[in-house]
Amino acid sequence: MSSALEVRGLDVRFGDTPHGLRDITFSVNGTDCLAVLGVSGSGKSSLLRTLAGLQPCAAGLIRVTGRDVTTLPPEQRSVVYLHQEPVLFPHRTVIDNVAFPLQVRGIATREAARRATEWLSRLQVDELVSRMPQQLSGGQRHRVALARALCAEPAVLLLDEPLASLDPAVRRDVGDALQAARRASGAAMVLVTHDLDDALAIATHIMTLGHGLQTALDTPDALLATPPSLAVARLLGVYAEVAGEVIETAAGMMFRWAGGTVPMAATIASPAHGAVVACIRAHEVQLHPCDASGGSMGEPRAPCLTVIDRRDGASEAWITLGDPAGANVGLRTGSGTNVRIGDSVQVTLRHARIFSPD
Amino acid sequence: MSVRRARIGRGITLIVLTLFATAPLLLLIVTSLARGWFHPQVVPTALDVSAWSELFTDASRRGALMNSLALGVATACIATLLALPLGRAAALGTKGVRRVVALLAFAAVALPPVALGIGLQMTVLTMGLGGSLRGVLLAHLVPALGYLTLMFLGVFTQWDSRLEEAAATLGATGRERWTLVLLPLLRRPIADALALGFLVSWAQVALTLLVGGGAVRTLPLDVLAMLQSGQDQRAAAGALALTIPALVVLSAARGAARQTTAVVA
Repeated sequence: MSSALEVRGLDVRFGDTPHGLRDITFSVNGTDCLAVLGVSGSGKSSLLRTLAGLQPCAAGLIRVTGRDVTTLPPEQRSVVYLHQEPVLFPHRTVIDNVAFPLQVRGIATREAARRATEWLSRLQVDELVSRMPQQLSGGQRHRVALARALCAEPAVLLLDEPLASLDPAVRRDVGDALQAARRASGAAMVLVTHDLDDALAIATHIMTLGHGLQTALDTPDALLATPPSLAVARLLGVYAEVAGEVIETAAGMMFRWAGGTVPMAATIASPAHGAVVACIRAHEVQLHPCDASGGSMGEPRAPCLTVIDRRDGASEAWITLGDPAGANVGLRTGSGTNVRIGDSVQVTLRHARIFSPD
Repeated sequence: MSVRRARIGRGITLIVLTLFATAPLLLLIVTSLARGWFHPQVVPTALDVSAWSELFTDASRRGALMNSLALGVATACIATLLALPLGRAAALGTKGVRRVVALLAFAAVALPPVALGIGLQMTVLTMGLGGSLRGVLLAHLVPALGYLTLMFLGVFTQWDSRLEEAAATLGATGRERWTLVLLPLLRRPIADALALGFLVSWAQVALTLLVGGGAVRTLPLDVLAMLQSGQDQRAAAGALALTIPALVVLSAARGAARQTTAVVA
């Protein structure tokens, strides 16, 4: 069975410049959602616009449900593109907006209205049918635009930063609507975002872009567990970076950093040699009050570090530790971590990913 | 004290401005109805509507009026049809294309009518259309097209092209995007363009005179001729008739402005 969307060796130019994306290859099955993650200017939106047929591709192949649509105009692709800001037709009521894709397909007005109402109802905005777009709130506009997109019964739904620039309540509301839409429509989704939280909220797979290339493609869990490069790890933005070195000892390969020396095999992924950068998530760090009596289970004793700064977020705390030599190291920990500025602590790393520095 | 002075100042300014705007119009109305009103008479001795009825009953004057109307309607329709895609193409084109189109459109508007008229006269004569209604129409189209292209360039520079993108990915063909999205949203600018195109032609004197060579009579030329021959009452009635479309357009524009919905980004 063919994928809902299959992309092979796609080259995308950024406007009239020679720069762009090269050799993008991925596929998305029906009801799956691929989040494309990249920094601003990495070509996420250009990729989406190319898939929608709103800009041409320089090379490659785009198939939708097995049909080659690479050179077809947007209206013949069965791909609906949703702009970051919902674009509703200002001269049409909500019901007329949602029925638009059925109207252009020649479906009778009564039947079109019935189906449009059904989608509005599924997205819980059916009480808005006779309103004009200017009379809707931000969240309502998103839901109506989504209902209209789904009314077109597309094979693929493209979402350009659907949750960006929304306040938290609307963000949750639109996120719920997207989840509902994914379940109800059977359409494959591709959404672009620069925010990992947005991707995690909706996506079944994540693809990252960097320097014009596809740098990773995996499930969210797998990608977070083992990002393929330091650049991808940085893009994911959930790790603290700790400088150190990988050394060979009689006991085996060890990772040595300001917080101590850790055996590689037990805790460290992706071994490398010499100077390295370790990427560590908040839940992989444990801070203990300093115990000068020695290391446990034969491990070398971890040095005591002083908490010199602490910044709390909603779910994490940024802790800056100073070692006796005067060097600082920043770590993320859970916000419940019970340490204060001035405390002397030892650090246990449960897991880390080691990369060669840039 | 200073507030009171400011209020008085504003009142005086308003009265002066109102007089400036309405006095000539009032004088025209009285003149158009006054039979044999000569200096030094302060008020007319007799009033009648003969000059007004002549506008519609006198074959020659009616002909001039019909020519003006025909030229105005044709200029408005043709210039709008040409300017809309031209302004859109320029707005969506490269910066270079936009500049060239804007420059040409501005030249058609900014060139002195006499200079433009002489150039057009030669062109129209070469085409064998000198002294004909079609030749005059061609001449009227030049400034009208300039104005309307600049207008549509402005409209499409501010246009939210995402509306068409959304329509396209929802399955609308190029024709459906025009009929279901673009044209309904452009109803107001198109109405404005038709009105402006009509007014540009309606008030045209120099181009009509130079290209029409006196063979094509329009209402403004008629009014000038009567003024020169001392037929003040008829000239005033004709001049007032000339103002009617402008007043209609102005009031329609005010009404529409109250109901306008923004459709630009």
